[in-house]
Amino acid sequence: MKIERYDMIVVGAGPAGLSAAIEAAKQGLKTIVFDENERPGGQLFKQIHKFFGSKEHKAKVRGFKIGEELLEEAHRYGVEVILNATVIGLYPQKEVTVKIGEELRHYKGDAVLVATGASENMVNFEGWTLPGVIGAGAAQTMMNLHHIKPGKKVLMLGSGNVGLVVSFQLMQAGCEVVALADAAPRVGGYGVHAAKVARCGVPFYLSHTIVKAEGTDHVTGVVIGQVGADWNIIPGTEKHFDVDTICLAVGLSPMAQLLKQAEVQMADTKGGYVPVCTKDGATSVPGIYAAGDVSGIEEASSAMIEGRMSGAAIACYLGYMSEGEKNARMKELEAQLDTLRQGMFAPKNRGKLVEKTDEGIAVSMNLLENGFVADDEIERYPGVTHQKGIHPVIECTQNIPCNPCQDACPKGCIRIGKNITSLPAVEGKKECVGCGMCVASCSGQAIFLVKEDVEPGFGEVTLPYEFLPVPEVGERGLALGRDGREVCSCEVTKVSKAPAFDYTNLLTIKVPNEMLMTARFYKKA
Amino acid sequence: MFDIQEKLKEIGPYIEEADDDLLVCRCEEVTKGEIRRALHQGIFTIEEMRRYLRSGMGLCQGQTCGKLVKGIIAKELHVSPVDVYPASSRAPMRPTEMRILAEDGGVCHE
Amino acid sequence: MNNTADVIIIGGGVNGCAAAYYLAKRGVRDVIVLEAAKSIGHGGSSRNGGGVRQSGRDVRELPYAMYGIQYMWPTLSEELGVDVEYTQKGNLRMGKTEEHIKKLQTLASNARAVGLDVKMIDKKEVKEICPYLSDEVIGASWCPTDGHANPLTTTLGYYKRALELGVRFFTEASVKELKKVKGKIRKVILADGTVFEGETVILAAGYESRAIARTVGIDIPMMRLIDEALVTEMQPPMTDVMFGCATADFYGHQTVHGSFVFGSDSGWEPTDEMIDPSNNCVDPSKLITNAFTLSASCRAIQDYIPALTDAKIVRSWCGWLDESFDGVPFLGPVDEVPGLILACGFTGHGFGTAPSVGLMLSQMVVGEPTVVDISALSYNRFLPVR
Repeated sequence: MKIERYDMIVVGAGPAGLSAAIEAAKQGLKTIVFDENERPGGQLFKQIHKFFGSKEHKAKVRGFKIGEELLEEAHRYGVEVILNATVIGLYPQKEVTVKIGEELRHYKGDAVLVATGASENMVNFEGWTLPGVIGAGAAQTMMNLHHIKPGKKVLMLGSGNVGLVVSFQLMQAGCEVVALADAAPRVGGYGVHAAKVARCGVPFYLSHTIVKAEGTDHVTGVVIGQVGADWNIIPGTEKHFDVDTICLAVGLSPMAQLLKQAEVQMADTKGGYVPVCTKDGATSVPGIYAAGDVSGIEEASSAMIEGRMSGAAIACYLGYMSEGEKNARMKELEAQLDTLRQGMFAPKNRGKLVEKTDEGIAVSMNLLENGFVADDEIERYPGVTHQKGIHPVIECTQNIPCNPCQDACPKGCIRIGKNITSLPAVEGKKECVGCGMCVASCSGQAIFLVKEDVEPGFGEVTLPYEFLPVPEVGERGLALGRDGREVCSCEVTKVSKAPAFDYTNLLTIKVPNEMLMTARFYKKA
Repeated sequence: MFDIQEKLKEIGPYIEEADDDLLVCRCEEVTKGEIRRALHQGIFTIEEMRRYLRSGMGLCQGQTCGKLVKGIIAKELHVSPVDVYPASSRAPMRPTEMRILAEDGGVCHE
Repeated sequence: MNNTADVIIIGGGVNGCAAAYYLAKRGVRDVIVLEAAKSIGHGGSSRNGGGVRQSGRDVRELPYAMYGIQYMWPTLSEELGVDVEYTQKGNLRMGKTEEHIKKLQTLASNARAVGLDVKMIDKKEVKEICPYLSDEVIGASWCPTDGHANPLTTTLGYYKRALELGVRFFTEASVKELKKVKGKIRKVILADGTVFEGETVILAAGYESRAIARTVGIDIPMMRLIDEALVTEMQPPMTDVMFGCATADFYGHQTVHGSFVFGSDSGWEPTDEMIDPSNNCVDPSKLITNAFTLSASCRAIQDYIPALTDAKIVRSWCGWLDESFDGVPFLGPVDEVPGLILACGFTGHGFGTAPSVGLMLSQMVVGEPTVVDISALSYNRFLPVR
């Protein structure tokens, strides 16, 4: 019987695991990565939206593309990535047993990195076991990996980034999202994600949860109701929707079972049952490391940096890198990680109501309670200006770590500054040429181009459009407001597609001048 | 040291609730009411609950209901979920056929 | 808090819980049970294969094993108000070679000599009892009065009924020391310093009993051994017998739930990781299975029961055996320490006898003769004679 040996064994080929393997392999470690799925990349391959952050964080690149790049880099440095390989045990002496095909194989590593990610939480209500009640991540897998529509009419529970992003993707796949509910009183995810769902006409029901799923052998409807201060449903607030699918996006739990089996010291926290580790991922068992969601739920962007940190730490632990080299690398990575952990959604602000932006501007309460910024609130943000001629209107109203728009504008019209979380401001003195690069570069789809008086009484709004079919020039339809309601009829006057836009099409619609600051989406009549 | 009779006195008798027939562990078909009733019989830990009712012992290994069971135990015992000790992790981490486990390069020692 | 009771039981396993229940049932309700782990029955009681058998037992244990099967197991579910899933459909100990059969014949004739119904059966009869077995099985010993039960619900059932009758249970109560007062057992001191006092102390703490007894000068000759077990996913009803084999490679049965539970070991299980070097005691939270055992067990099992080859294994676990020097427990009062009663060293087969052992412990406490004579199990049997 054989035990195969590696310097470093990585469990999980997601953003953290692959990043760690690359970082370590660069230093010369013999590295192998196991993943139980048939495709590598973990959740990245389900992410068809553009990522936030800065250039180092691969901002404005779509998630699956980041996955492809990571995999390519891993192969380049000689990392072995073994797919359909299920690690079923992590034993003393850093031994893992792996089910590969029809056999079980034994591997020992001088270091083992567990980067197994997380699994979706469930909530239970009457009828929760009916077919048609699915996790949001499962819905994403069906749509984006297997190209199967999860249902026709969907209710989404959960307004965190997962709930918001998946709601949008469900609509992109051709499903109707009838409502988005969350027991919390405020939207949990990024405002820009909420706004792009709301402008498609999805009503938000905050302080609401599911009372029951209806149906006998599959979901045929859902009842939601408003939750009171005691977390019980307030009688009389129940609302029924005809749906065939109920999507649950109610948080993630770290999948730390392997670490627990390995007798790593664990801590039960509000964020789940996680290993106690140092910032570079070292657990209480020498040589066993953890990175990514398994050590605490965060975004994929953070997981990639955490992975790099663990990779460097392991390279140093095994003598492939000096303490000094490691510290220098750590400093770089920590700075990147710190950047991502700034702003309103920073870990320290979790669960807190932030009422003012860093600039001292009041946060839109409508955005938090209904998913969109109200018409009378939008004017107070620095990205929203009124100018003669074409100019960007940036409806980015929360401090989040993201700045591709600043680099996207060839004319320097957009300023964020050194602090990546600052709200983008439009510089009035610079001249916008209407190239649309900013519109396509905004991962939050929050930038619009506005031009008054293209003809008497009418102006044009250019908006990001990621739906199929792409409307034709000359087509007449309806302009929708931020709240998704019809504001006026309109005509499509231009459709721009360019490789640089990376599949974010730019749709220009002609609306009356007084609707230029209201019309934010287009719907075929 | 944990005084079980003292805790039983504190939590009082089992009182039926409207959603007691709600399924919690779908693999082993354990309801919320069964879990609540067991708690008032002195079955306080997740491990004991697994042994008593089989909640979390099915094919998904408690991946789906683990957090739900924890929440029910915490609420009934008047403690934070963080203070309810989680169940052990057992290999194999994913259910695996006997014939595959047998095929690890080892031989029968007969 | 009142830390004094008539009886203090150290160890909330199946024997400790059963003793507590039978004491309370007969009216001795001022009883305290101290369990070191967070959960009741966290040691061997929840980790064994659930055998309720007489065959294969030492003649010194056989009388009370038979007593339990005749008078206690059949009504236990009703008595505890919990389904203990007792199934009395026989024990099949299989052999594949002539050598195996010879070994089984010897065991069977020994058992028959003390009055147990055990016979040898041939390949055809084996297949009639269970058609799913390998053709390589050429014969077996068969004890129709043996069976199995659910150790998890049995242990918790005794606990639950004892609680209902007023027995006080403390978990996370790890005992460090015993202390005599005026020559009699009196104090039970926890690791955290808490002192309990009782007239009688029953020591039923598995291997840890050895360290505890040493604090009053009693050294119990037993060792520590680890064994593993596994459980399959649910299968359609296939068999209700208890399996074993001549080579003792594995044992097991199909549970009422439908899953099969098997116990096994490779004989190579390292245990250092689970022992706290500072006190040479087992850390009850640490029970680490071995990377090779699960595969070795599966090979052994599917060689005998090929029908299970596609069954998925859902979990594997391990547990400590308190292996006594001669393979049978230490059961009875300790003369040198009046008031101290031992119930340990069950060597991995203490589950099936827990009802009769619990009953006899309750009898010892009140000074009544036990239902069967167990003087041969006294700890004295190891007093130096030379």
